[in-house]
Amino acid sequence: MVLPLIFILLLVGGAVLAAQSSINGRLGAKTGIIESAWLTFIMGAVLTFLLMFFFEPVQQATLFSVPKWQLTGALFGVVYMLAIVFAVPRVGTAAATVAVISGQLVMSLLIDHFGWLNNAQLPLGASRYIAMALLLGAIVLLYLSHQRRNRRMAAQPG
Amino acid sequence: MQHALILLGVLIAGMGLSVEAGLLGPLGEQVGHLSATLSIFMVGALLLSLALVFVPRRQLGALFKQPRWLLTGGILGPVYVIVLTLATPVVGVGMTMVGILSGQIAASMAIDHFGWLGSEERKVDGYRVAALVMILVALWLM
Repeated sequence: MVLPLIFILLLVGGAVLAAQSSINGRLGAKTGIIESAWLTFIMGAVLTFLLMFFFEPVQQATLFSVPKWQLTGALFGVVYMLAIVFAVPRVGTAAATVAVISGQLVMSLLIDHFGWLNNAQLPLGASRYIAMALLLGAIVLLYLSHQRRNRRMAAQPG
Repeated sequence: MQHALILLGVLIAGMGLSVEAGLLGPLGEQVGHLSATLSIFMVGALLLSLALVFVPRRQLGALFKQPRWLLTGGILGPVYVIVLTLATPVVGVGMTMVGILSGQIAASMAIDHFGWLGSEERKVDGYRVAALVMILVALWLM
């Protein structure tokens, strides 16, 4: 019962991420990379602080008691935001998305396979190899779609 | 050449996203999902505030001259991060990323196809539909 719900949540999360990179790419092109990323994180911090303040059940551990390396996720988030806002106007959304996705996939399979960062170990089985091959195929298709569009654009300027 | 370098950088940034998910899942289990999410945005906001002090020719004023909907990225971000912290402990980082990926690709296709959010219209073609189908099959296999 929980699994389908999680999938719906994940799809919404991904959809939101796509909408966000589209919006932030435009904003960054108009106002600057750091400015756009800064506003995104400030608003995110304000919103999640309010949510946490009113809705978080009390926990044994707090952000101040867990080992510090567990708090370094933000560094990766900031690097990602800066990279996207920098890259989208230069290489196009499709190419940037394909690159992000490749990195995401390889790393996430490594983390699961070895159980890095205190995550449960989920070894790679045959079906996961097939899944990876399918995802690579999908990435190639997206790239081809992008190339064909570029050729069309070059053939008919304006 | 410069293109390839930028793409390499973005690829590494993508790897970072998975590391973020891998860190957030266990953290959220310990301190609460909303606190884990807050740590991301709080640390990010503080770091960028520092960076902002040293940026030449800041254009902070320009931010608020944009149409208001262009400023909503910060409201969308927490949705993604909260979903990450909820999902990774249950289904693992790999599955989480494939789910996110499907949503990302489907939504970016819809955004391009209909020209939503002020992006130029790019019609869905056969390649893109095939890619989406392959991703859904992969999701089912994981």
